[in-house]
Amino acid sequence: MENNAATSRTMRKAKSRIKASAGDRIFDYCNYTFMILLIIVTLYPFINILAVSLNNAQDSIKGGIFLLPRVWTLDNYRYIFRESTIFHATLISILRTVIGTVTTVFCSAMVAYTLSRQDYVLRKFMTIAFVLTMYFNGGLIPNYLLIRDLHLLGSFWVYVWPGLIGVFNLIIIRSFIENLPESILESGRIDGAGDFRSFFHIVLPLTLPVLATVALFSGVYQWNSWFDVFLYNSSHINLSTLQYELQKILQNSNTTSGTSSLDGMINGASGAQQNTVTPLSVRATMTIVASLPIIMVYPFLQKYFVKGMMVGGVKG
Amino acid sequence: MLRKRKLALLGLAAVLSFSVVTACSGSKKENNNAAPGTSSPGVSEGTEPKKDKATFTIFNGVAGSKDGNTNETTIGKMLEDQTGVNFKLEFLVGDLNTKIGTMIASNEYPDVLIPDAAIEEVLNAGAFIPLDDLIDKYGPNIKRVYGKDLDQMRAKDGKLYVLPMSAQVGNFVPDPEPAAAFYIQRRVLEEAGYPKVRTLDQYLKLIEDFANKHKDENLTGMVTLTHDWRFFATSNPPMHLMGYPNDGNVMVDVNTLEAKTYSASDAAKKWLQALNGLNAKGLFDKASFVDNYDQYIAKLTSHKVLGFFDQRWQAANAFNALKDAARKDPSQDAYNYFPLPITFDENIPDAYVDGLGSVITNRGIGITVSAKDPARIIQYFDNLLKEENQILISWGIKGETYEVNEQGRFYRTKEQIDKIDEAFNQKFGFKYYSWNWPSYGANSSFSDGNAKGVGYQPEVFQMSLTEADQKILDQYGIQTYTQLFAKPLERPWYPAWGFAKDAKSPEAMWETKKDELTKKYYPKLVLAASDKFDTIWNDFLKEFGKLDTAGYEKWTTEQVKKKVEAAQGNS
Amino acid sequence: METKAILATSGPAANKKPKGIRLFFIKLARQRALVVMSVPFLIWLFIFKYVPIWGWTIAFQDYKPALKFWDQTWIGFEHFKFLFGDERFVRVLRNTLAMSSINLVLGFVTAIVLALLLNEIRQVAFKRTVQTISYLPHFISWVVAASIIQTTLSPDGILNQMLIWLGIVDKGNEILFLGIPEYFWGIFGASSVWKDIGWNTIVYLAAMTTIDPSQYEAAEIDGASRLKRMRYITLPGIKPVIVVLLIMNIGYLLESGFEPQYLLGNGMNVDYSENIDIFVLKYGIAQSNFSLSIAAGMFKTVVSFVLLFAANHIAKRAGESRLF
Repeated sequence: MENNAATSRTMRKAKSRIKASAGDRIFDYCNYTFMILLIIVTLYPFINILAVSLNNAQDSIKGGIFLLPRVWTLDNYRYIFRESTIFHATLISILRTVIGTVTTVFCSAMVAYTLSRQDYVLRKFMTIAFVLTMYFNGGLIPNYLLIRDLHLLGSFWVYVWPGLIGVFNLIIIRSFIENLPESILESGRIDGAGDFRSFFHIVLPLTLPVLATVALFSGVYQWNSWFDVFLYNSSHINLSTLQYELQKILQNSNTTSGTSSLDGMINGASGAQQNTVTPLSVRATMTIVASLPIIMVYPFLQKYFVKGMMVGGVKG
Repeated sequence: MLRKRKLALLGLAAVLSFSVVTACSGSKKENNNAAPGTSSPGVSEGTEPKKDKATFTIFNGVAGSKDGNTNETTIGKMLEDQTGVNFKLEFLVGDLNTKIGTMIASNEYPDVLIPDAAIEEVLNAGAFIPLDDLIDKYGPNIKRVYGKDLDQMRAKDGKLYVLPMSAQVGNFVPDPEPAAAFYIQRRVLEEAGYPKVRTLDQYLKLIEDFANKHKDENLTGMVTLTHDWRFFATSNPPMHLMGYPNDGNVMVDVNTLEAKTYSASDAAKKWLQALNGLNAKGLFDKASFVDNYDQYIAKLTSHKVLGFFDQRWQAANAFNALKDAARKDPSQDAYNYFPLPITFDENIPDAYVDGLGSVITNRGIGITVSAKDPARIIQYFDNLLKEENQILISWGIKGETYEVNEQGRFYRTKEQIDKIDEAFNQKFGFKYYSWNWPSYGANSSFSDGNAKGVGYQPEVFQMSLTEADQKILDQYGIQTYTQLFAKPLERPWYPAWGFAKDAKSPEAMWETKKDELTKKYYPKLVLAASDKFDTIWNDFLKEFGKLDTAGYEKWTTEQVKKKVEAAQGNS
Repeated sequence: METKAILATSGPAANKKPKGIRLFFIKLARQRALVVMSVPFLIWLFIFKYVPIWGWTIAFQDYKPALKFWDQTWIGFEHFKFLFGDERFVRVLRNTLAMSSINLVLGFVTAIVLALLLNEIRQVAFKRTVQTISYLPHFISWVVAASIIQTTLSPDGILNQMLIWLGIVDKGNEILFLGIPEYFWGIFGASSVWKDIGWNTIVYLAAMTTIDPSQYEAAEIDGASRLKRMRYITLPGIKPVIVVLLIMNIGYLLESGFEPQYLLGNGMNVDYSENIDIFVLKYGIAQSNFSLSIAAGMFKTVVSFVLLFAANHIAKRAGESRLF
């Protein structure tokens, strides 16, 4: 059967090549043109930020930096990496991203599986209970007091517990599971697999593309978070994250550029070689420092987005 | 938020601004008794026994420096040797009200708190302990430095919970540059033969003539800064043009002490009309009303902008960039800006130079109910306020970061100046100790006549001038920029924007609404066709009339009078 | 065996013997594996999401963080009155709804179209490159993004230069894009699309992996054009995800964001840029009036619930997949 399919596919391909109508060709041209425009528009800001981050801070003030730095320098990066706290903070960021993502993807998927079961008696109640929480919030102070009473202040787990389940992710996973051909799930049940086995051996492998998507969502969220650090762990430097340390450096640069007027005055005649940073340059540099690692994750996840992969998985 | 940031930055600016003794430059004291103790830091004064080491925590509501411990710095280590105390410092990163709100709600505080703009909330929450007894027992220097200022800080129950951040000590040392001004490119003055420029009309005429003569250069006459809370740089000029200092939203009459708002006054109308006229001639940069702060600074450094009004600290980044360029290439000096004392009329004396004001009561530092050993903390503060330690935190260590000449005047050598950069400031502790602690105010001087602030010292200021600076100052026959400006009057309430007010009060509400209205109407007025100006102005007046301006003025006047009374009680 | 039993009892035909609560518990007992998998998270949900709702009481108090709950002053609906009574509220609400609708429609349409178009690209390397690059702007904070947008739109920015070059705008008469109130929603919409188009496609691309490739093959034999294949295979294939996302997002109709409006807004366009969040920031948070922001939050929640249930109901009626 496999063989048959393969041969018929090549035959069809040959046919369709002949038939590749003018319409399809035009479509392709338009499509590629559009994609290239999109690349230009979405790549430009990044190039621009990169250029500013590699440009002398005092020179950047004058504006007019677009694609290339005018006065090359690595000083902005030096300024950021001068802070020794950055490295430990990066470690914490990685830890919270990995642990937070793995737990939330796993837990969300598990609950999603139960909620995808049409016959589950708590299904409707639980779905509503989860969904509603997306639309309300008790407010800052009650949340803070809750975290305190749970003794999560000054603890790494404050990055994990509150986000244990992402309702948005949960719903997306659920809708994927519901989309799976009923026959596959049923085949599992007929095999006599219990719910745990069916979840681990059938649902998890089959939903890899959506799990990858959700992992990306929560990974990016974890990586970018700094508000919870600010709120709960700001006086615990050993639990600080990269984003929070970068925020600190940015604020520091605000006052530094202020003091540079002081230095400028005192240094006066001689102060030509000031290596002062400015918020403008620090912001650009921290954008690059903070986003490059997480951006690099995406290409690795893309292999899960292959067309027909889920169904292929069923067959194989 | 607007007010908070503005205050924070103005406060910062006050610290950053430098001035110089204009009258008698030094040489008062022949011998400065053994170079104010700083070179022998290990020896703590008196016979107090060494105490065990103790670490306290400080949360600073002003974003400032990186977190750390004071004893990681040279100064902090020396102070620890004297007192046994060190501090773990944490600076605000996110939103102040959020952070303070969580502290209050959980009733858990750091040992010492600098609540910045949230001071009322912290006081209302009862987070601070009264300091009176502690100061009586351990605070001779605190008493000496603050004197009766402390009475102005007292809460309604008569107790003192908060120490002001700084107090004026010794002779008043004015700033060598005005706090704010109408700035103009130096080449404009040069081409016009360094004329005396006093009025707005003269100023605008000068700009217009220059722009017309250099049509090919595509010059901009004026830009104004409007972005977000920085909008005050566009709305404050009427007050300055009327000859008042930056009292925020009001002009206060020195004699009657009446506070008047000016946002919808004739002065504001005149100012906006002037901009409107400039715009009609194509000399005003329309983008002023949409540009952000970075774009504004970029324009100031672009060489294309002939004039603008701003606070000096706010344009500091642009000034620095321009000065740097001019130092490398003196021909670029033409693009540096020069401050001018502009008012509406030559008969109106200007008020751009800050004089001796009052103690700022809506900022301060306090010890919280969570503090383990308040006595040690207050002793630390008291020790810090000793003159030798004030010299230490400002000038550093003799022979290392400053020198003393035969007349007993402090100065810095070129090598020392080069050495003190951002990283050194951090490592040595200048940064930590510059504005987070009870200290002498910016305009203070020591008992031997030396200025507290390094940049206030005339010797240091003169050294900072380039040849070109010297030239333009000579053209106007002055030694410092400030000398071109009127001497500040005594305004014991100044600045009025520093009056403490509750965040939910009608006064705060008035300010928010006023900001909203001016931000909306001023752009319209400036960009309108000249025949539409009056119609829009009347619309604005109608909207503005809905605010309880009389109530705001009454409240402010009361505060002014209170301050003045307190100051008179002082002397 | 056990699962079979569950299937048997849960089918409607099997409801013969026990009734009501008893039946519920019997079923529950049979589904204990599912219970073990989900109920612990229900407890988690209760603690982390439902317990803090007590904070809503703050909206009815003259809240002082320092006071204990029972020492607060209760002032009834004062904060709501302030919110709804302000003459600007209608305008602020209008702006909120307009901008979030623009965001909703544009966000969905552009992301789905891009996902469909990406799906038609055969060169895998190129496809992945486009995907990766198009999602880059998502990682730029709004502060930085706004600054780039402001530069682009300024009189000497690239957009005006292009318009001059095309002869649409005269030199010296450059358009002050951010100074024209009516343009604000458009600028906001375009900026949001630019920033998140790539990011928003990810979920649709994932959804497309569920489509059986044999469908495409069959269509190819039938000689269906590319557009037809998109229309009749790909789009229906991802429809369940689209519908569910749409329902969830309709619930967010009063959340139009905060940062872009705050950063791109100015005195000239305030009539079109100020939304509920900014209003609350000005009068609530900036004046440390926690109560006002909670009151506004409650208002938004109520509206969200109504919209959510309505949207879900409509989807049910239309026979589409739904949220619950």
